[in-house]
Amino acid sequence: MSYKKPDNKDLEAMIGIVGKNYATANDAICASYLSKSVMGLEAQIPDIVIRPKYPEEIRKILVYCSQEKIPVSPISGGLSGGFACPLIRPGGVVLDLSRMDRIIEIDTENRIAIIEPGVTLGQLWAYMHKHTPEYCPPIPDGAPPSSTVMGDAIDRGFSLVTSSMGPQGDIFMCAEVVIPRGDILYTGSWALPTAKPFYKYGIGPDLWSTLMGSQGTMGVITKVAIKIFPHPEHKTVVVWGMSNPQDMQNLTWQIGNQEFGIAHHCVMVQGGNYPLVMTRWPKEKVPHDYEFYKEIGFSKWWMNFEVWAQTQEELEYTEKRIDEFAKKFMESKECKDPKSIKKQELHPKQIASRLKKPNKIAIPYGYWEAGFLFITWYTPWKDCAEFAEMYTKVLEDHGIAPVMWIASVERCRQAICMPIICFDSTKQEDFEKVQEINRITTEYSIKRGWLNYRPDPYIHAPMMYSQAGTYLKYLREVKKMFDPNFIMHPGRLMLP
Amino acid sequence: MERLEVMKKELYRCIHCKACKFTYSGDPSRDGVGEHKGVLYEGMVPSCPSGLEYGWESFWNAGRMWIARCILEGDLEFSENVRDTIMQCITCGMCEVQCENKVPCVDIIESLRAACYFSGVPLIEKHELVSKFVVERNNPYGGDKDKRFEWVKENGLEEYLDKKGAKIAYYVGCTASYRQINIAVATCKIFKRLGIDFALVTKEVCCGSPFFRIGRTDISQDLMNTNLELFKKYEMVLFSCAGCYRTFTVDYPKWIKKELPFKTNHAFELISDMVKDGKIKFKENPELRGKVVTYHDPCHTGRHFFIDAQRKIIDESKNLIFDLRKINKWKEEWFEKPRIIIRALPGVKFKEMYRIHENSFCCGAGGGVRAGYPDFSLKTASLRLDEAEAVGADIMLTECPFCWRNLDDANTMFNHGIPVYGILELIDKYDLIAD
Repeated sequence: MSYKKPDNKDLEAMIGIVGKNYATANDAICASYLSKSVMGLEAQIPDIVIRPKYPEEIRKILVYCSQEKIPVSPISGGLSGGFACPLIRPGGVVLDLSRMDRIIEIDTENRIAIIEPGVTLGQLWAYMHKHTPEYCPPIPDGAPPSSTVMGDAIDRGFSLVTSSMGPQGDIFMCAEVVIPRGDILYTGSWALPTAKPFYKYGIGPDLWSTLMGSQGTMGVITKVAIKIFPHPEHKTVVVWGMSNPQDMQNLTWQIGNQEFGIAHHCVMVQGGNYPLVMTRWPKEKVPHDYEFYKEIGFSKWWMNFEVWAQTQEELEYTEKRIDEFAKKFMESKECKDPKSIKKQELHPKQIASRLKKPNKIAIPYGYWEAGFLFITWYTPWKDCAEFAEMYTKVLEDHGIAPVMWIASVERCRQAICMPIICFDSTKQEDFEKVQEINRITTEYSIKRGWLNYRPDPYIHAPMMYSQAGTYLKYLREVKKMFDPNFIMHPGRLMLP
Repeated sequence: MERLEVMKKELYRCIHCKACKFTYSGDPSRDGVGEHKGVLYEGMVPSCPSGLEYGWESFWNAGRMWIARCILEGDLEFSENVRDTIMQCITCGMCEVQCENKVPCVDIIESLRAACYFSGVPLIEKHELVSKFVVERNNPYGGDKDKRFEWVKENGLEEYLDKKGAKIAYYVGCTASYRQINIAVATCKIFKRLGIDFALVTKEVCCGSPFFRIGRTDISQDLMNTNLELFKKYEMVLFSCAGCYRTFTVDYPKWIKKELPFKTNHAFELISDMVKDGKIKFKENPELRGKVVTYHDPCHTGRHFFIDAQRKIIDESKNLIFDLRKINKWKEEWFEKPRIIIRALPGVKFKEMYRIHENSFCCGAGGGVRAGYPDFSLKTASLRLDEAEAVGADIMLTECPFCWRNLDDANTMFNHGIPVYGILELIDKYDLIAD
């Protein structure tokens, strides 16, 4: 597929649509949108950046670009959540959706928020904290405050209630999507002009799912209705530590497998290993030996159970039951190292810090050296320990700190496994090392049937799709239906 | 370019997460003061004046960091486009204190500007003019260099001109010498009243702050060397200007790569310590009774000192997990200093704005922006005054003549009705020191 590099005539056309203050080919401005970190190391500088305000402007832009075969990559916020640079040359047009930042409605009766794509986590959190404190938005834990709610959800991120309610993608109810063939599509119950956004699957076979998980490879989402959740007053964090990932996996499964009651109260179940703590600081400024972390109270591995409850009684009951499960697990044959299983007592300040949302917990891994990459895989819950062992070994073999974060999705139905590769992005050899790690681990993971989330377009995506040819064939057909000239975010997801 | 290269590893810590877009980026549920003029002062609030003004990614800090990276990697060349983007940053450092990866954003911007200038891209016209003025007249305002201390005679303070035997010098700075003379006079009068034996050094030249900020590091180093030669005989140098104080205390040691030959102190620190020790007592003035007073932390004495102190603690630390508390302790004590004075003033009600301490919103004057982009600068000052309005302030205090100037101009231009004073100026004007 060949694309056109936009020229002055194209810029003039864009200015004609959005006005001269909101379309530019200024090279410094275009360069400022570049990002090679966290979610992917490959990116191009766009040739034009446009900051539209209205769906109709986007519709006209997409129709024009489709006609001219100019690539378009929409971005809505920060990393992670809706920040997707162009992947191919020419970079084409970036649609910066940050001006579309209206919180249109918070409907507590139907537990829905209607927002535009530029609404940030910090913005929505502050708004609801002030105006509807009894409800909270489904923001991701760990994504920076300037990521967007829509951006995180379209990537199927991990929200503050994912361990209980399912992946972030499941919070969508309805959407307004501008597609390159020039239509504005309404999904879910919004497909009927008179309907409220109360039903995700709408009036027939669901089109919405084909738009998900793509960072804008099919169209531009301009409005969404998302679920909001009660924000109960009674919360705590219960932490159980252990010496190995198997015990972490199996103890957590015991609780998630309950499905009802306490499993639902554990809104966020996430853990990892002690390098998760160590690599949040500069490499030369903290001890590397586990003994130090042991002394300050960290087990080699641990699992946090963040519990939300409507009453103190419910909260205490849940904590008591988690402790009972842990004690029972220690006595079971399944437990590899019973002596290492212990409850970590948290200071109230530590609990408050872990309950804080949105937070900056995922950011400081750049401080260890100079840059990092999140690689994320979904596995069946009972495979997460194997994944962790495999990945941490590969990291260590390459001289990289073995940082592993694992969380439960929907009561241990899946695990989201995220090794954090902390490396020195000033060094070319480190980039090469990261790519080699990616290749080795992807080969292993695909054989095991694990799925990469937000795949790297040069390693994860080709390796995965090469195993799923029929699926890719139909994905291309779906893409062609929405985007006949394949202008939306080309390169991502092997499309075209 | 060399300085930018030196900071490459620190620059590459920026992951473009854009947490720096928010004030209180680590405090999402912070209770605020509600909504005022369309801004919700609750939780996180957008942080960057230039990002707010212009919107494009290049005007937010993270975008500028990636411009710097593109320059280093050869993906972008210096040009007037680059200059116009990086120059419209107030270098307030709000972004830097939000950054979990401790990217030295202000130093990077300043180095980028210097590299841009020395690559052959001319300064904007207004910056050329102030550069010309300072070279010819030792001050960026174009004032006659022989009239720098004219205000001394008018206020009966001649005894302090190059006073022999004094071990303390008061560095007045250009803004208080040529524009906010009220600040210089009030400072001298208070020093006099407190019996401080000090000298005014008649040959002092601009501290160089504006030129460190806009990238003319050649000019700023010449000025620095002149001042260091002039002041080296004193044990302590006092300041009333946040920018000059920052430049002497933070920039000079960085450039000369050693400690200064004298101690530095801002007047508010001196007075604060005296209040704390019970050496100064204040009396009430009926004109101020019941007035709501708020305080604007100047970036140069507030956030920039915090950043510098934090960096030193990190550099010296062998285990940062433990030393984090040292940083927090330093911060709490530092930001309390001006507040100790204000809380001790009887009769006035002290009410904080929403964004304070290291999260204080800038007045808009710094980084060469007031000279180069006055409309943007004044709009920023007006946003700060909006914040004072939101808490019902009658008076805004600060401790920097440059902030004073910008805030006061915006107060007049945008009809906020909130007079601005320096803390020492208020004390002098209303005769608040008890006998």
